[in-house]
Amino acid sequence: MDTAVFRLDGVTKRYGDLVALNNATLEVGANEYLSFLGPSGSGKTTLLRVIAGFEAPEAGRVHFEGRDITNVPAHERGIGFVFQNFALFPHLTVIQNVGFGLTHGKSGLSSAEIERRAVEMIDLVGLSGMEGRGVDQISGGQRQRVALARTLAMRPKLVLLDEPLGALDANLRGRMRNELRAIRERLGVTFLHVTGSETEALAMGDRVVVLDRGTIIQTGTPGEIYDRPASPDVAHFLNRFNLFDGSLSRGSFTGAFGTAAVPQATRANRDVYAVRYDRMKVLPASASTDGPKLRATFIASEYLGSSVMNFFDAGHGHLIEMEHHLSLGAPDTYEPRQDYLLTWNPEQAIVFGREAG
Amino acid sequence: MESRIIKPALGVYVALFVLFLYGPFVVLTIISFQQGPDGGPQFPIIEWSTYWYRQIFGLTPPSRVAPLPFGEALIRSLVLALMTMVVSTVLGVMSAQAFRRNFKGSAVVFYLIVLGMMVPGVLTGLGTSLLANNIIGIERHWYTTAFATHVAYTFPFAFLVMLAILNRFDSSVEEAAWSLGVDPWTTFRKVTFPLIFPGVLSAMLFAFTLSLDEFPRTLFASGRDQTLPLAIYGTFSVEIHPNIFAFGVLTTLFSFALLSVYGILMAMSVRRAKKMAMQEDIA
Amino acid sequence: MTSTVTIQDRQSKVTRWLLIPGIVWMSLFLVVPIAMIVYVSFWTQTTFNISSDPTLASWKQFFTSDTYTGSLWTTIRIWLIVLATTFIVGYPTALFVGLFVKSKTLSTVLLVICVIPFWTSFLIRVLAWRPMLGKEGAINIVLMKLGIIQQPIEVLLFTELSVIIGMTQIYCVFMVGPIAFMLSRIDRNIIEAARDLGAGFGRIFWKIIFPLSLPGVVVGAIFVSVMVLGEFATSGALSGRKVNLLGNIIVTQVGSLKWAMASVVGVVLTVVMGIVIAGFLRIVDLKREL
Repeated sequence: MDTAVFRLDGVTKRYGDLVALNNATLEVGANEYLSFLGPSGSGKTTLLRVIAGFEAPEAGRVHFEGRDITNVPAHERGIGFVFQNFALFPHLTVIQNVGFGLTHGKSGLSSAEIERRAVEMIDLVGLSGMEGRGVDQISGGQRQRVALARTLAMRPKLVLLDEPLGALDANLRGRMRNELRAIRERLGVTFLHVTGSETEALAMGDRVVVLDRGTIIQTGTPGEIYDRPASPDVAHFLNRFNLFDGSLSRGSFTGAFGTAAVPQATRANRDVYAVRYDRMKVLPASASTDGPKLRATFIASEYLGSSVMNFFDAGHGHLIEMEHHLSLGAPDTYEPRQDYLLTWNPEQAIVFGREAG
Repeated sequence: MESRIIKPALGVYVALFVLFLYGPFVVLTIISFQQGPDGGPQFPIIEWSTYWYRQIFGLTPPSRVAPLPFGEALIRSLVLALMTMVVSTVLGVMSAQAFRRNFKGSAVVFYLIVLGMMVPGVLTGLGTSLLANNIIGIERHWYTTAFATHVAYTFPFAFLVMLAILNRFDSSVEEAAWSLGVDPWTTFRKVTFPLIFPGVLSAMLFAFTLSLDEFPRTLFASGRDQTLPLAIYGTFSVEIHPNIFAFGVLTTLFSFALLSVYGILMAMSVRRAKKMAMQEDIA
Repeated sequence: MTSTVTIQDRQSKVTRWLLIPGIVWMSLFLVVPIAMIVYVSFWTQTTFNISSDPTLASWKQFFTSDTYTGSLWTTIRIWLIVLATTFIVGYPTALFVGLFVKSKTLSTVLLVICVIPFWTSFLIRVLAWRPMLGKEGAINIVLMKLGIIQQPIEVLLFTELSVIIGMTQIYCVFMVGPIAFMLSRIDRNIIEAARDLGAGFGRIFWKIIFPLSLPGVVVGAIFVSVMVLGEFATSGALSGRKVNLLGNIIVTQVGSLKWAMASVVGVVLTVVMGIVIAGFLRIVDLKREL
């Protein structure tokens, strides 16, 4: 039984010598929200462009709604695409932009019906009253909504979003995130959302796909990814872990913090010890502890609203971050340029190593 | 500061340069108001008059100086320039559009096209007339052989203008249109073309003016019926009268009128494209 | 439903159809005609006729006649002189427009002023030099009024000098444009930095400004060369038939239906042109500069 709306089978895309996508395989169910996370150059935009039909893969197949669309041109795929720069038609008004696909495509609708649908979409994204404006007369956030309304007006089963919030300021980004989710739930569409922001990826996706150098390195729910990153690279992209190099040997890891017991480790091509920011504990420099310990100098703290981030220098510029959730009580205050002892419960650490099985 | 000397010095130089550029034209304009029909094309001005202008429009009684035989030649030149403009702009847009994708042999095709503006007109004209005259054995006409050479000359200009425009074109708007289910041809008509229209206008202007004034190619390739530059060249070998200067002033004014129309069109193009699309949606 | 035509195939097909008309046109009306010139230069010419029997007669005639070889040297001499004069006349103007004028509007206005003369027919622009340079022309009148000369200068018109003056005026703008464009792209901070380090204008000019403007000079030189080498109208109208360029020879040969000789001269001109352009293109990559 094939319940997937959409499937990639070993898709590979090269630009000259550069492999932008390497054997990508992926299944997406109906009405799913998938986020793609990866650094720039990881191939996530290429992935979307191959799915949309803007680029042809060198190898592999793309399936959509039970048919092979690898060789179907973009305009016959029925897959929506929202661009990072919005790519609105600058010579058209808001309503002309939203109605563009219905007017010039194969919708076969009457102009009255097209107008009704366009107005409905403009209403859905909260831009009522702006129908006649030129797209150069509206703000960045409004353009984003026009781009979305224009895509959704075609009622696609699958919408690709290429860093759609990247061009917006932080405040607007938060609001648009909620609206994206709400709109998707109302329309029952599958969203594939590419982002460079780990917060966005974890917050938005039903599932998160992590890409690095053209390869899918992990797929899972945000919880799975967060709790069990599959590789040191994933832990690194999530930007939630202090990473230590060292060596894993016979059930213990030796690094800058001494030697710690490792109850369980994940196999990887290098030995890395990862501790989540909010698992770190700070003790006075003079304290003694059985667990791993790391001497570090306090640098500064940052107030983030629901938590406080504390930054320490563990020597040689190795920055250690410690997050204190305010729901757990008032934060301790530390003295700048003072030494402290950092420690954690070794059972909560995530360890990667060549020796792991 | 040295630039306190250099900048004013250069300013004075540029003034002299402009004088050098415009000097002949100023003199030409002055002499076009020479007395007629006895005044010659030189100083001193015997008496100021508009005789030679009136003669061009046939408003003077016949005299020993025959009126310029430019009427039909002017019409031919205008028609030829229009034909050339349309064909070379279409070719230019098509080729430049193709050059947006990498393809094998693109450098060869690029230089093949650019060659058209590099080869001296006298050679293209000679070669084309050899081909027509001695190989195929057809008669040469301004609307056949000369037209072919004109396009081979102006198409590279249109191509380069469009290439510059399309190089800066953000293709994501086209991809957006495709993803909305609009086929590439409709996308080109409804999105790409309205957005590159100012460039198309420039390409058209280039092609039109180059063709209108084209002389060496036409000299060999046009056969019996003369275009305007050929008619002007014809007056070189006989005695020159101030009427040719008056004609020069008039054509320059005509060019300015054309340039103004272009400027206005250019300024309106974006607004007009918007309006056009709006009317279409209402219709 | 699986189609075997990939997206790439489809795009290649579109590219091909977009290119074919242009390629066909340029091949038929540019490449084939030039090939024709080469071909016909080996044809046999009789007084009233021409036949395709191959012969080197016209070529021998070209290289043994002083008129023809002389016109080759005249062409090269005039080309080099006009190249130099357009550069000398144009460079300071380009320097002012491209570098010294700070306001964008003023530099645009100056460039438009340079382009305006092109709205007069080329031939009439050439002809306009006659009342300017003649014995009773404007220059002589002004110079005599100013008391600088007592007798009118007669060498101004219908000499090689008048051809050079006319060509310089007509073509110098093609030097100014590209050079001004390159100069306007120079990062002003580099010049400021050099000035802060105590470099004088001369040093800054030779070490920074001139080298950076060189691609513009080469592009301008290509424009001027292409036009001057193929010239015949200016030399015909302003030299009183005293200066015969290769172009003039072609015109007279065609006029007397000597197609074979016209073709030989055409091939010689093509070769000269090819060497000149190839030489310039070795210095700059035209495709990149445009």
